Amino acid sequence: MIHAKNLNKQFGDFIAVDNVSFSAPDGAVTGLLGPNGAGKTTSLRMIYGLMKPGGGSVEIDGIDMVAKPLEAQKRIGVLPDLSGLYPRLTAREHIVYYGQLQGIEKAELNRRIAHWVEILDLSGIIDRRVAGFSHGERTKVALARAIVHNPQNILLDEPTNGLDVMSTRAVRELIRHLRAEGRCVVFSSHVMQEVSALCDRIVVMGRGKVVAEGTPEELLALTGMTSLEDAFVSLVGPHGEAA
Amino acid sequence: MNKIWIVAVKEWTDGFRDRRSLYTLLISALFGPLMIGFMFSQIASQQKGAQEIKIPVVGRQHAPVLVNWLTQQSGVEVIDGPADPEAAVRDRKSDFVLVIEKEFAEKFRDSRPAPVQVVSDVTSQSTRSKVSRLNHLLNGFSSEMGGMRLMARGVSPVIVSALKVEQIDIATSQQRAAMIFNFIPMFLVISLFTAGMPIASDSTAGERERGSLEPLLLNPIPRWQLVTGKWMAAMGAALLGMLLTLTVTLVMLSRLALEELGIRNHVGTGQLILLLAATAPMALLAPAVQMFVSCFAKSFKEAQSYLGLLMIAPTIPGIAAVFYPLTNRPWLHPIPVLGQYAMVTEILGGKAPAPIAMIGATLTAVILTALLLNLATRLFTSEKIIFGR
Repeated sequence: MIHAKNLNKQFGDFIAVDNVSFSAPDGAVTGLLGPNGAGKTTSLRMIYGLMKPGGGSVEIDGIDMVAKPLEAQKRIGVLPDLSGLYPRLTAREHIVYYGQLQGIEKAELNRRIAHWVEILDLSGIIDRRVAGFSHGERTKVALARAIVHNPQNILLDEPTNGLDVMSTRAVRELIRHLRAEGRCVVFSSHVMQEVSALCDRIVVMGRGKVVAEGTPEELLALTGMTSLEDAFVSLVGPHGEAA
Repeated sequence: MNKIWIVAVKEWTDGFRDRRSLYTLLISALFGPLMIGFMFSQIASQQKGAQEIKIPVVGRQHAPVLVNWLTQQSGVEVIDGPADPEAAVRDRKSDFVLVIEKEFAEKFRDSRPAPVQVVSDVTSQSTRSKVSRLNHLLNGFSSEMGGMRLMARGVSPVIVSALKVEQIDIATSQQRAAMIFNFIPMFLVISLFTAGMPIASDSTAGERERGSLEPLLLNPIPRWQLVTGKWMAAMGAALLGMLLTLTVTLVMLSRLALEELGIRNHVGTGQLILLLAATAPMALLAPAVQMFVSCFAKSFKEAQSYLGLLMIAPTIPGIAAVFYPLTNRPWLHPIPVLGQYAMVTEILGGKAPAPIAMIGATLTAVILTALLLNLATRLFTSEKIIFGR
């Protein structure tokens, strides 16, 4: 369960995030939808606590991120916009490293790795160094690494960006799997189809603001449109400027 | 503590899988000692060459007495000189030539100064010691003959010696050999800097470049532990590089006949421990400086170029210390790098630095290291560093 309240962030004169509030419930997938530069990544960075909000607050399962970052961060798994892998380490070593830092004991860690290897279909590459991996393989490794500690809340920044069809399917299946387990999943995207295929709730962002929030049906009703794409365009404007 | 160790092990594994860093470590560890060994053996062979000389003589038939006397001296062999002595020396075919002139026999018989010429090239460094050996031999012949002539006339040869000159011989080769010894501390410190560099820069600037810093910082580990773990890995590599250099240097010194060069080799187990204790503080400090500097770089390459410049810092005083030895200046000891040079020079010279000096040097290094790690920790919380790519 994630609550973001009145988040603000300014870089110099540029207001990147302007009074953003939204909630992401457990057992549901919440999509942050918006054109490039809408403030999605900056909002996520404040939510996962690496960027200090200029104003506002973030609560993860009721724990304040600014006040108790280490405790709150234990409850989230994050896939940032770059997968950020170490070319000379194997896929397994990546997951083990984070698992150890999360304080998971060895037997349990091995059990979880076996679990994710199966779900993400990593068996062919788990003991290879990641240097030669495809983009899809990298994303899968980064995903397994991000959720090795079984976090209740999962934040994914454009997880399917640039992936081929098979990898995109794998990521979508993982997201559905996590939702079925009752977790709170938030992911950002600028791709309409991605959001409409997966999300229970959509937060539409434009120019640093939340312009609309609700289920896909609610957004259609709000805008009076028949397709989500038209609804999106009418909400953020044809050139991406927020209405 | 446990998490610091996890980070250190990961960086260590990652670092040593990088061929570049392994090669850097090996080259830096071997370069210094091998160069010292090369310089020593050059000097040794020159000196050996001076003790065993072949003297090309032109006109030996004019002075059988001199040639016989020369042949009887130890390590001397007389050979026939070239037809054109000056051309032979100029073309480096001969190092030098002794020319005995025609009137030698007549003048020698009449007890007048008999002329000989030594043809040599003064600008040639390598032949200088041989020429001086020849001159020494000729002077010896001259005074021996002079003494015999005086005795034949009933005069004690002692009265021609107004001075009794005792030679305290600090030959140039010995000086040079001693100077080479002064290079050792610099090579130790340099190897420590180069060995720690790849991990120090890859675990900071490299982490930023790959975008792996952001997810890493989301793990429940305090930033100072993360920084300390990375520093420990770099320090391990630096220590390893230094140990390797030290070992190769000591093995090499034990193989070289230093005594022949007039240098006493003082290095035993006790000295080894002292050397480690004197240099180890730099293994703490150097990676901390390198990490701190690398934090400002956006990429591994950028960091490497900063750290390359940083290497000048220990090199300049190192070279200066070769010509102006830093011994007997206790106030230098607590200053990083300079203190290490001073102490290593003292230990290699057979003197143990005062315990207070060692403690002072260690203490300054530890304090500076802690300070730099603290600053690096702050940088690791800065949004500009985490997200600035």
